[in-house]
Amino acid sequence: MDISFPYHIKLCFPGNLEYIPAIRKYISELLQISNFSPKFAYRSEIIVDELCNNAVNFGCRTEDARVELECTFFNDRIEFTIKDQGGLKENVDKLRSTLDNPVPGSDSGMLPHQGMGLEIVRMLSEKLDVKIDKENLTSVHVVRRREDSALE
Amino acid sequence: MESQIELIYEEIRGRENAKLIHFIGDLDATNVETVLEKVINLFNDGIVKLVVDFKQLRYVNSTGLGILLHFSKSAKEKGGCFKIANINENVYEIIEIIGAASLLEIYDDLDEAVAAIE
Amino acid sequence: MPSTLKTDIEELTATPGVVVVRFQGSLESETISDIEKVFSRVQMGSSVFAVADMSSVNLISSAALGELMGARKRLIELGGDLVLAGVILEIRTKLNLMGASKIFKMFNDVRSAINAYKWETEKKSEQVELTFPSNLKMVPAVRQLISRIARQKGYGNRDSFRIETIVDEICNNAIEHGLNDSNLNIGIKVDIDPDKIEIDVTNISDPEKMFLLKTHLKPEEHQDIHNDEKRGRGLMLIKMLTDELTFNISEQGTVVHVKKVREE
Repeated sequence: MDISFPYHIKLCFPGNLEYIPAIRKYISELLQISNFSPKFAYRSEIIVDELCNNAVNFGCRTEDARVELECTFFNDRIEFTIKDQGGLKENVDKLRSTLDNPVPGSDSGMLPHQGMGLEIVRMLSEKLDVKIDKENLTSVHVVRRREDSALE
Repeated sequence: MESQIELIYEEIRGRENAKLIHFIGDLDATNVETVLEKVINLFNDGIVKLVVDFKQLRYVNSTGLGILLHFSKSAKEKGGCFKIANINENVYEIIEIIGAASLLEIYDDLDEAVAAIE
Repeated sequence: MPSTLKTDIEELTATPGVVVVRFQGSLESETISDIEKVFSRVQMGSSVFAVADMSSVNLISSAALGELMGARKRLIELGGDLVLAGVILEIRTKLNLMGASKIFKMFNDVRSAINAYKWETEKKSEQVELTFPSNLKMVPAVRQLISRIARQKGYGNRDSFRIETIVDEICNNAIEHGLNDSNLNIGIKVDIDPDKIEIDVTNISDPEKMFLLKTHLKPEEHQDIHNDEKRGRGLMLIKMLTDELTFNISEQGTVVHVKKVREE
């Protein structure tokens, strides 16, 4: 049976970096069977990787914390929403600061790669929305449009 | 457990304190520690002039990029170098997006990178 | 200016046996006695697994590292360990140069260190849940996802391959016996620990196909029905590869539960 758009997948996993390589490859493979180009799949793999890394590193406060990733595959784009259960205040403040000052690797006292991840996602996507509620639950929504026309 | 990455070493003839490293696989948050340890051990042994071949490096994320920048900085501080050759299109795009292309010593091919070692 | 070091101990009530030792400042000759004192307190307590939170450490000397190594040795003698968490990059490089990475396990943060303890010592299981459209084309990506997760969690190549086959066969069954509606989803729940993996696959059944499924599960009760050989082989394969296989078939849906014990 051919794949019909739009379709939706959901993943919920422990707040542990170990799960991310398998998850990013899963998304990449789904994109390729959905007739998106290998390049699109690669860029989306990066987006998923960076979002999941941020969620695990900054959005997980307890040992049982989990991360939820939802993807909707459309004919002309993919949309990701990643939700975490809320990080420590200092990490959420860092995230807010990164969103307000999108200059990666600056002398902010952060490791070279902190802030870089979100900047990469921002550059690779058409839309990036971050919502942080009062309990520091963070939801990141990203839209990436297909730039090729493999389906034509 | 980590994403698969393999480092294969090769001597560079006629070059003191230098080594060629072939990176094979994906470089991400789950294996940067392993790579960090291996490269730091080389620096520790006085091998501070490194040429890395990325021909079989499929994937790098921001954590991986961070470690490459760190290696580049550390090597220079020790009077050495960290030269990168054969970066694939996808990986190069990410390096460019983040503005790291000017911070790393990048070469189109291995011979060029090796020849550039002082 | 004199070196300063602040220390703090937290016994984790949620994880008995684990204590977090927080350092803030410099770990060097001038502060060695502080390091010694804090680990003496740890040894007097009931927890023998210590996680040193190094995220606020800005300096470490070889003498201080020696003190940490001594503390680790004493904890190991008591059946525990000392691991390092949250070491910043510059300090990590220095520790690697001093050979510390050959001795200490290092973690990104305290949380990952505690999770690793729970996994290895308490055999605490971890869960992954996913849903995807009921379409055979999705199955290769799904089976690879679960197989890679198993491998990432330390399962060997053979076990991971068998898990991939199990997921493949169950998902194919679920989709082929399910209602042919691309708006419906397959749900998978994976529960993995160091010793075993349990997988539940849920789908909405097609009432017309349910009877056929039941005949494969109990062929001895339906001997005059023509068996779908391919389906029968798939189920046979799952039975051979797993340690437990159960079905819960109802009008609402089918849940296939498998358990596979880790062999390598």
